[in-house]
Formats: sequence, C-alpha cells, structure tokens
Amino acid sequence: MSAAATTHHGEDNSQELWNGGGSPFKAGYGKVMMWYFLISDTFTFASFLIAYAALRFAQSTNWPKPAEVFASIPVHGLDKWNLPLVFVSFMTFLLIVSSWTMVRAVQEGYRMNKDGVVKFLIPTILCGIAFLGCQYLEWTHLISEGMTTTTATIHTKVTNFGQLFFVITGFHGLHVFGGVVLNIWLAVSAANGRFDKVGHYEMVEKIGLYWHFVDLVWVYVFLCFYLL
Amino acid sequence: MNFDEPVQGHLHWTEGEYNDSKKEVLKTIVILSVVTIAEVGIAIAYDHFLGKDGSGKWIINLIMAIASVIKVYFIMGTFMHLKHEKKGFILTVFLPFLFLIWAIIAFTVEGSSWMAMRGLLNVF
Repeated sequence: MSAAATTHHGEDNSQELWNGGGSPFKAGYGKVMMWYFLISDTFTFASFLIAYAALRFAQSTNWPKPAEVFASIPVHGLDKWNLPLVFVSFMTFLLIVSSWTMVRAVQEGYRMNKDGVVKFLIPTILCGIAFLGCQYLEWTHLISEGMTTTTATIHTKVTNFGQLFFVITGFHGLHVFGGVVLNIWLAVSAANGRFDKVGHYEMVEKIGLYWHFVDLVWVYVFLCFYLL
Repeated sequence: MNFDEPVQGHLHWTEGEYNDSKKEVLKTIVILSVVTIAEVGIAIAYDHFLGKDGSGKWIINLIMAIASVIKVYFIMGTFMHLKHEKKGFILTVFLPFLFLIWAIIAFTVEGSSWMAMRGLLNVF
C-alpha cells in the first residue's frame, strides 16, 4: 500500500466492484446466469442430436426420407393430400412468430410500457400452446401410422428413427411447455405491476432468452429430422 | 423477493434506441422467414437434383448447415441481443460451442465407421 497522498481510483473502484457496485460484462447478473444455463441446455440437446448423427450414419443406406415420413397434414380430412413437410413448416413459423412477439415484449419492457409487454406476451403464449397442439397432432398421427419407439413402418424403415424422433421432440416439447408456463406467470406478473415496482423489466428479457433458446433448438431438431 | 436490488445493465431505452431496435428486429424476422421457406423448398425438391444413387447429398447438407448458421446468427445476435453485449461475454457463449462442432464431426465419422465395421464383421 503506497504512502502517497493521492487517492488510487483503481482501488476505490475495485472496492465498489467487490461490494456489488458493478455487474459481470456490464449485464445484469440474472441475465448472464440465464445465458450460461442455456449453454448447458444446449449441450444436453446437442448430445441427443449427436447421438442421432452417429446412429443415422451407422445405418445411412437404410435411413428414411423425411418427405415420405412426414407427408401429410395430421388433421382428419386434410391428411388425404400428399403435402410433404407442410405441417412442420407451419409449426416452425409458429415458433418464429412467437419469438418475434417475445422480442417486441422485451422492447416494450425497455420502455417501461406495462400494457405493451402484456399485449405482446399474449400472442407468444398462444403460439406456444398452438405449437404444442400441433406436436400432439403430429405424434398421434405418426403413432397411428405405426411409427413408435418399438416399431417401424415401410416409410420409417428402422426403429431407431421413431425412438430418436419421440425422445428428442418430446424433450423439446417439454421445454416449450415450461416456457409457456413461465410466459403465463410473466404476463400475469407484469399485468399486476410487479416490474413497475421493481423498476425494470429485465425478467421479460430473461424469460425471452429462454424462449428464443427453445426456438433455436427447434431450428436444429427441424433441420435434423425434417430437412436432412 | 428482493425488490431493492440495484438496477444493473442498460435497462431503460430512449425513444431512438427503441425505434432502431424495432427496425432491426423487423429486418431479422423477414430474413428468418425467407431462409426457412428456402430450406423447406429445397428439402421438398432435392430428390429431383440428386444422382441415381443419392450422390451429391453432401451439397444439400452443406446448404442446410449454412442456412442454420444464418438462423443462429440472427436469432442469437438480434432476438437474444447477443450482438450488442460486450465482446468478452459473446466469447464466453460461443467458445464452448467449439466442443460441439468437434463432437458433431467426430460422431458422424464414428457412425460411418460403425457401418463399415458391421460390413467387415458380417463374415461371422
């Protein structure tokens, strides 16, 4: 410790930092932690998709063509036409739209606009619920066609495909469901004025990060099972 | 619930920042929609462009991989706001993904070698 009379601003600042006067990377602690949780969840999903890659390339000559497996809209009456990948594209757009409305909610939060936040969380929730409904229809349709975790059809050829499909889309669907529950809590909390009381809408951003992560995982699940 | 925590980070925008952000997000969602439509179009039609034995599929895979990278860039960068964070933070998020890239390549090759081994071992 120098005996000089001048104050060492570096030391003063570090005292402040140690006492919680700063935040990591100048971002809120909660937000940074949400990002790191999402990275860990990325590794979980990635390990599933990597297992898919390994098993697929071990049987690549006998692997199903997605356009054949997912060839119709799983709604009674609409399933008579051969419309490959149309339904899953609709599901993808549901999540893209819900991501956009979520971003708009975050932006309204940055303006401390309570009504705007709630206004944009509602379509986010509805799109999430619609996505889960679509996933239910897709699952029941495929199961009724004979694709399960133990049986394959003439289109799906190997039981591995069904096993991987249901486990991975199921795990993703569970995340979507969790996100919908979080968003409902968020909308109700915002409407009750909780974040005006706290002084900022960072919670909207944190849950928004989780929701975008769910969308991003779907991009890769969609890619592996439906496009490649 | 502690409501007395100090506000950390830049959590209140000006009108200008808000409008800029809205424009950026709108541009992003248009790009995402176009890329998705292109991906689906290629996925439906690619059978016509492959060779008799399915050769050339690697080009399709490459196009799909690039399209996914574009989507990741826009969803993480703009929707999740990562582009506007501090560079050190962006690195802490992206560097772990290098492990995943290694893993994807390694296990894809591994899978192919399983198929080859099965062919070799089928003698028994």
